Amino acid sequence: MSTDDITDELTRNVEGTTQERLPRLFFFICAAVSVVTTVSIVVLLATEAARFFSVTAPLVGFAGETVDAADFFLKTAWQPPEQFGVLALVSATILITVGSAVVAIPLGVGTAIYLSEYATPAARSRLKPALEILAGIPTVVYGFFAVIYITPVIQGVFPQTGAFNLASASIVVGIMIIPMVASISEDAMSAVPEDLRQAGYGMGATKFDVATGVVVPAALSGIVSSFILALSRAIGETMAVTVAAGSQAQYLNVLNPASYLEGALPMTAAMIKLLLSDITGGGLAYRSLYAIGITLFAITLAMNVISDFIAQRYREEY
Amino acid sequence: MSNNDTPMDDSTDYSDSPDPTDDSVIETNVADAAASTDTTRPPADTIVEARNVDVFYDDVQALDDISMEIPERRVTAMVGPSGCGKSTFLRCINRMNDRIDAARVEGELLLRGKNVYDDDVDPVALRRRVGMVFQAPNPFPKSIYENVAYGLNIQGIEGDYDEIVEESLRRAALWDEVKDQLHESGLDLSGGQQQRLCIARAIAPDPEVILMDEPASALDPVATSKIEDLIADLAEEYTVVIVTHNMQQAARISDKTAVFLTGGELVEFGDTEQVFQNPSSDRVEDYITGKFG
Amino acid sequence: MSTHDFGQVSRTVGTVFRYALLAATLVGVVALGILLLFVAVDAIQPLTADPGWHLTFFLSFVLPTLVVSGYLYRRAPDSLRAGGAIVGLLAVTTMFAGGVVLIFVDIVSPITWFGFVLALALPAGVLALVSRTLSPGMGTSVGLSAALLYISLAGVPGPVGGIVGLAPIAPSVIALVGSIPVLPVDWMLLVVSVSLPVGLLAGSYVASYTDRRGGIVALGLTVALGVAASLAAPSLGISAGPSLLLATVVGVPTGLAVWRSWETNRLALALPAVVVGGAFVGAFAVEALGFAGPQSWVDWQFLTSAHSRIAEDAGLYPAIGGSILLMGAVIVLSFPFGVGAAIYMEEYAPDNRLTRLIDVNISNLAGVPSVVYGLLGLGVFVRFAGQPTGTVLVGGATLSLLILPIIIISSREAIRSVPEEMRQASYGMGATRWQTVKNVVLPRAFPGVLTGTILALGRAIGETAPLIMIGAPDVVFSLPAELSAKVSAMPLQVYAWATLYGSPAFYQKAVPAGVVVLVSVLLAMNSLAIVLRNRYQNEQ
Repeated sequence: MSTDDITDELTRNVEGTTQERLPRLFFFICAAVSVVTTVSIVVLLATEAARFFSVTAPLVGFAGETVDAADFFLKTAWQPPEQFGVLALVSATILITVGSAVVAIPLGVGTAIYLSEYATPAARSRLKPALEILAGIPTVVYGFFAVIYITPVIQGVFPQTGAFNLASASIVVGIMIIPMVASISEDAMSAVPEDLRQAGYGMGATKFDVATGVVVPAALSGIVSSFILALSRAIGETMAVTVAAGSQAQYLNVLNPASYLEGALPMTAAMIKLLLSDITGGGLAYRSLYAIGITLFAITLAMNVISDFIAQRYREEY
Repeated sequence: MSNNDTPMDDSTDYSDSPDPTDDSVIETNVADAAASTDTTRPPADTIVEARNVDVFYDDVQALDDISMEIPERRVTAMVGPSGCGKSTFLRCINRMNDRIDAARVEGELLLRGKNVYDDDVDPVALRRRVGMVFQAPNPFPKSIYENVAYGLNIQGIEGDYDEIVEESLRRAALWDEVKDQLHESGLDLSGGQQQRLCIARAIAPDPEVILMDEPASALDPVATSKIEDLIADLAEEYTVVIVTHNMQQAARISDKTAVFLTGGELVEFGDTEQVFQNPSSDRVEDYITGKFG
Repeated sequence: MSTHDFGQVSRTVGTVFRYALLAATLVGVVALGILLLFVAVDAIQPLTADPGWHLTFFLSFVLPTLVVSGYLYRRAPDSLRAGGAIVGLLAVTTMFAGGVVLIFVDIVSPITWFGFVLALALPAGVLALVSRTLSPGMGTSVGLSAALLYISLAGVPGPVGGIVGLAPIAPSVIALVGSIPVLPVDWMLLVVSVSLPVGLLAGSYVASYTDRRGGIVALGLTVALGVAASLAAPSLGISAGPSLLLATVVGVPTGLAVWRSWETNRLALALPAVVVGGAFVGAFAVEALGFAGPQSWVDWQFLTSAHSRIAEDAGLYPAIGGSILLMGAVIVLSFPFGVGAAIYMEEYAPDNRLTRLIDVNISNLAGVPSVVYGLLGLGVFVRFAGQPTGTVLVGGATLSLLILPIIIISSREAIRSVPEEMRQASYGMGATRWQTVKNVVLPRAFPGVLTGTILALGRAIGETAPLIMIGAPDVVFSLPAELSAKVSAMPLQVYAWATLYGSPAFYQKAVPAGVVVLVSVLLAMNSLAIVLRNRYQNEQ
């Protein structure tokens, strides 16, 4: 074959044909959809929230009723359509988040250590699907469980507990996020090389020593990152708390354990409640939805970024 | 090989076996190999020519000013210690190095007179004319038939696929073993069989050149010798360029040998017999006789 | 000092720790188990049945199953697992069949479905013919198939012509079929439009194991099964159409599984045999002996009625139908975009800042609360695009956006798990990127992609907040008739009963029943995904 013949063959530009361009374009569009979604969320929340706050409303040319930003962020009474103090909602959210952390973090990390260091492969193959099922139950069902089965138990111990209370909501949200803590922590622990464990055993360390002294510290960045992600999920949890935590906003003391026996309205449930009230016509109540929405979005976004940062920055490079 | 020998009663006497570190042993192997080479073949045209090829991974130089002429329808072996650039050079011929972002190639590499690194050359089109067999057998999780026919399918080659598949499997010395199970998965075969399947897959689209990157290093000795016989047969029809770290293998099967040493340097290139019996530099002689590497 | 005694290191802390960890692991799962047990008891009320009823089923069903399971567990655990899989398959297909029957009874009429299948088959046939004789290029093929599909489904010139102002020239295939004055009976249409395609699938499955003749036998048996079920229906007291659908959806997969088991592991059939047999024997026995079963709140009436203010009469039917419709919309919208984005990110995207941005973006989207997605749906689809609130389309679109990041992330993992050597082999042979993706990467990654999608759909079925935000009504009394009709969903209905109608009556009756149905569907989907994942992980 001559040089000319082979030149013809080699210069054919196979990758540039329609056959190649078409799939590539299609797949790129699919990936772009995700970017468009984020941009839409941010734009939407920002513009509508801007119409809610007095300080930003003029910027978007809105001339209707607005609320002073200071009132929103610093007042503690939430009674739409008159009062919009978000601290009442925030206090309830904080209480639930902390409560669920108390449940999920010990149990989740314990599960992760057990699965990663102690469980036989057979046990692991049965426990992991079971945990996935835990995560797959609809959240509204968890809310129902909290009200019907868990609250009576709490009331047996603390008779002054309300029919809707933050304690049972925290418990079920905690149970809900155990799989998240467990699986991400377990991944982090599995990534710790076997050599490190061998070094520990070789020095006569027991399994307990190796697990707590070698593996967990080595995987710590991943474990902490799992906490943050799980808490972000707890903050954003809607239906379980809507059903179980209560529907009357009240500002509670986040440092007082007795607050858990009360019912209150967390941020996410407040959004649902707003929707069930009269929000036609784009009034103040409608726009307050977006104010809470943007707050939630900002919080969960920040937590995701922090969790990523911790996982990357402090991860041991093996 | 009697299985009735009790373990402690080892009556095999090794004193007569050749000492592999002895210079004369290697020369004997090469002499045997040279003797078995058909010296009545006419001198071959050059099919692949490298001109001052340099390869860099970021700032590290992997190949230093490589120039060589690879003859058509012969087996050319590239030997050298680990990390000296022989696989890198192999992957320049079919531009598989393009898939590594940090790699930078300078110089010219001509296939039948056309520089494969010219701007107008499409690497995908290039790889359809140059076949590659990898170190670890990597058949697709498809049937044996579909594996061999893969190249035919993606290039849209016309012809009787059944015939081409059979012919390729015969050339790869695999037909008799698999002819009744063509529709079973390629992954069900043994390691040696899988590698021969990969060879059949590579030759089915009738490439100009077949590149082999240590094709037998993951196989046991019996499978290895089958592959080596196969390579000798393939050279009747195809040009084979093989990278190997096993010098006896290179001596046994190749017509030409290139010796790479650390730093990506090509220190020797010539007829196999001459390279092994009469190396031009001490460094090469030291490497060949096993003093290092 | 003894030189041979190394002493003992105390293991007490370690042992206590180990048991504490095991306890921690089991707490959540056991707690959930107990809660599910409670709600199941509340919904099914087993204690209201006659003792004789319990005894009969215990002797005919529970005891034999335990005995066989115990025997298999000791002697042949593989068979136990395989047998359990078949029983599971039976349960899942029955549930699925219920949904399919619902679709054909209330959503799509057999005539429309027949027309739809015909509208797809005709272009496919034409395209196959053209490919064989003319061998057109890819661009031509895609264009031709798009054009044929459009004409077939929408007629000439179709909606596009309507916008431009052209008069209709030819109706679509579906409209044509609908206008035929005399049509065969429903079940005959279903035989052609359901049994036949299912039979073709079954046939190709069997043929991959045996040969062409086996495939044809499978096809024939499937069609025969459909006809037999239709003809036998009146004597069983049900209509022909649902009978055919039930027989096909349950019978064909189970039949294939039993056939495979017969060929490979006969002992595995012991468990399904004793479960099914025991159930039937028990059912006949309690009929004959006149024992009353439990007064379960989950009964036929619950599954087939609509909402009512009286708790005893309330039913889940429109919510079930709504969930099915929403899932249909979600699959159509999210699967292509999700998998497509994953393919782009893993196979095509260059390693630059834009790609990293998209990467970070997707993992952030996965963490956004579902209620914010609902807000997005409200703001974009309802307010901005002017769609009516709470329709199938808006609900489906919002839920799709919600699970899109999940599908992308799990598909990416599946694609990433394809070994690099295979890609190298393909590229080394001069395959283009698309050829490599289509021929090597996707087939290998497909089981993982499927598993991830099923789990994502499970999440979508259980979501309530987004639906509330887009204004889905708390109760609907009938199934939506079209994409722009209001729709409810199972979790939404349960939520409405638990809060808006939260009287003790509802809490005792309708809510537990709804929870049981919803959880059963979810457990079925999760189990399917887990089994699929295990099977394909073992195969590779």
